[in-house]
Amino acid sequence: MRILQRFFRSRGVRKLARNRLAMFALAIVLFYGVVAAAILLFRLVPLEATRERVGPQNLPGFFANPSPERRLEHADYYLGLLLRQLKEEDPARALRSIALAERRVVDKPLAEIRDALEKASALYEDMVDRDELYDDAQVAAVIPDIERLESMVDSLFVVPADSSTIYSMRLLFGTDRQGRSIFMRAIYSVKVAVQVGAVVALVSVILGSFLGAAAAFFGGWVDHAVIWLYSTFSAIPSLVLLLVLVYMFTDTFVEGTIYTIYCAFCMTFWIGPCRVVRGETLRLKELEYVQAAKTAGFGRFYILLRHVLPNTAHLMFINFSLLFIGAIKSEVILSFLGLGIKNEPSWGIMINQSRPEVINGFFWQIGAATAFMFVLVLAFNILTDALQDAFDPKHLG
Amino acid sequence: MTAVQSTPTKDPVLQVRHLTTSFKTDQGVVTAVDDVSFDVFPGETLGIVGESGCGKTVTSKSIMRLLPARTGFLTPESKIVFDSIDLAHANESTMRGVRGNGIAMIFQEPMTALNPVFTIGWQIDEALKYHTKLSKTERRTKAIEMLELVEMPNPERRVREYPHQLSGGMRQRVMIAIALCCEPEILIADEPTTALDVTIQAQILRLMEGLKRELDTAILLITHDLGVVAQVCDRVLVMYAGRIIESGSVHDVFHRARHPYTKALLESIPKAGRRQRGSRLPTIEGIVPALTSLPHGCRFQDRCDHREQRCVDEEPRLESVSEGCQVRCHFPLGASTGGESKGRVEA
Repeated sequence: MRILQRFFRSRGVRKLARNRLAMFALAIVLFYGVVAAAILLFRLVPLEATRERVGPQNLPGFFANPSPERRLEHADYYLGLLLRQLKEEDPARALRSIALAERRVVDKPLAEIRDALEKASALYEDMVDRDELYDDAQVAAVIPDIERLESMVDSLFVVPADSSTIYSMRLLFGTDRQGRSIFMRAIYSVKVAVQVGAVVALVSVILGSFLGAAAAFFGGWVDHAVIWLYSTFSAIPSLVLLLVLVYMFTDTFVEGTIYTIYCAFCMTFWIGPCRVVRGETLRLKELEYVQAAKTAGFGRFYILLRHVLPNTAHLMFINFSLLFIGAIKSEVILSFLGLGIKNEPSWGIMINQSRPEVINGFFWQIGAATAFMFVLVLAFNILTDALQDAFDPKHLG
Repeated sequence: MTAVQSTPTKDPVLQVRHLTTSFKTDQGVVTAVDDVSFDVFPGETLGIVGESGCGKTVTSKSIMRLLPARTGFLTPESKIVFDSIDLAHANESTMRGVRGNGIAMIFQEPMTALNPVFTIGWQIDEALKYHTKLSKTERRTKAIEMLELVEMPNPERRVREYPHQLSGGMRQRVMIAIALCCEPEILIADEPTTALDVTIQAQILRLMEGLKRELDTAILLITHDLGVVAQVCDRVLVMYAGRIIESGSVHDVFHRARHPYTKALLESIPKAGRRQRGSRLPTIEGIVPALTSLPHGCRFQDRCDHREQRCVDEEPRLESVSEGCQVRCHFPLGASTGGESKGRVEA
């Protein structure tokens, strides 16, 4: 508690607090953290919400009107869905089971629905047959018909009043090729990113710092062993090592889960803090307070934990923020390659899935994933720079 | 300033015999401290003086067994008897019990000698926790008591402060408080005042002097400052290139230096009022020989004004010249005027 108090009053923290940009970046990072915690603990965005179909495919974001062809396709999708359900053995139940997120089939007698559906279908067929959308004038001419068709389709669906905000939120950034909400998937990915970043950075920093400090402090075979370990690990290209690990976990219960990622990243990411802390400890152990601790008769392990490690805290701090970003970026790359997480959405998966969409000029999915990641990474980089300025003794002044 | 030192009659609290400390280096084994023997008596201050690299710090580290584990070692003949334990060959856990508890140490650089991330109170408490069975509140009281003892103003407030909030002199006081909190029998002070300015230096020396009397702690003071030795020490060892070359009471050594090196050292102290126009401060020509290439014979021969053939041929032994005084020289100064010395007869 005392240490925390002292920490918040320390020169470094005061210097950080004076940096407006850094505080803004910190606010953004904290916001991401809160969102991630809310998703993880309170199911702010349940996993199902990222999987269920909320509407037609590739709906653009911000409720923009798609092109007339697209609008026809959307109407077709809804009509087709209803027609399929009506052909079921128990049409009433089949219709009730339709769930486009909050959107439901309107609660009317079957005959009425069938009637409305037929009318709409007739209009649709008529428009498709015309097939004459070559210039702006022609397009303008069919717009009223399309709007008529859309209102007919809309009359078949309702969104309950209490969930209309959530429903429109879901459509904020449009839908992907399977009609899933891009917004929900992008938000849910915040959880995955923050989880990967926090766990990997924390474990790596603790492991690396401890090994590095122990190596420098005890010297001898401990030092040789740690140096051998990190030289070996850093000699292997990290992506290759990650690939090997990912393949190692194939056909086990952790395949494609976040645990594979944790394991793979922690194995390579500890090297950075280990090196830095080892170097610092080599300096610290010659300092007189460490010598003084020895003359006071304290045990070596005690001195390491109590007198050496606390004095490398600023390095752990800086390394934590560096690794946090590193882990998030690597996770996105691995997931993009299809080797990362498979059971949950992640920005990497979203970018991967948006490849065919981009060819067709639909940028909402890749845009949302990139923007969410960009804001977090940029904010964190600014924060890390500011942290370095504030806490690294070499930047004092 | 002690004028005449009566011969200590109590049993020595620390006996160092034939202490030889060597280091394995790229140039082979280097002996930094060579066959050093001395006693420390309760309640006395023993000074060890010498130039940089003469082995005084290595001597103190050898006593504390804080030599680098892989390169530094004591020879089998070395004996360091404290509390009837031979520290020279004691194991690490015995040493941990002795360090801080029986023999404490303070360092030259008070700026870095305290851990910057913990409060003063925490650091005193830590030593007490490790070596005593006092309860938490007792330790707190003791910490404040110790700070009062070292004349720290406002001890109740200071225990909650961090090292960076204290000045150099105050940090050295804290160091002394930490060193003395477990009531050690010997306090090794390695250049305790070198990094402090002169007024603070005088305060700290006076404080150590007072504490020594109050707690009856023996002090082993390591310094290169002869002024400090004159001010606080009872006896003094002069070291040169790893050997003791002269020892005796401060009075004897300062007024009747017998070794040419000691004499030259004393003459090279600037003296107020004695300087004549145009005269230069006497210095000792040359440098301390490297430990890897020590000359055959007397180690001081290259820089000695009184060198003779015998000094090159054979190394002098440490001989008693008078009560409590020893010198390592074939031709001790004052021997010709003060009659034949015992050492001369034996040689």
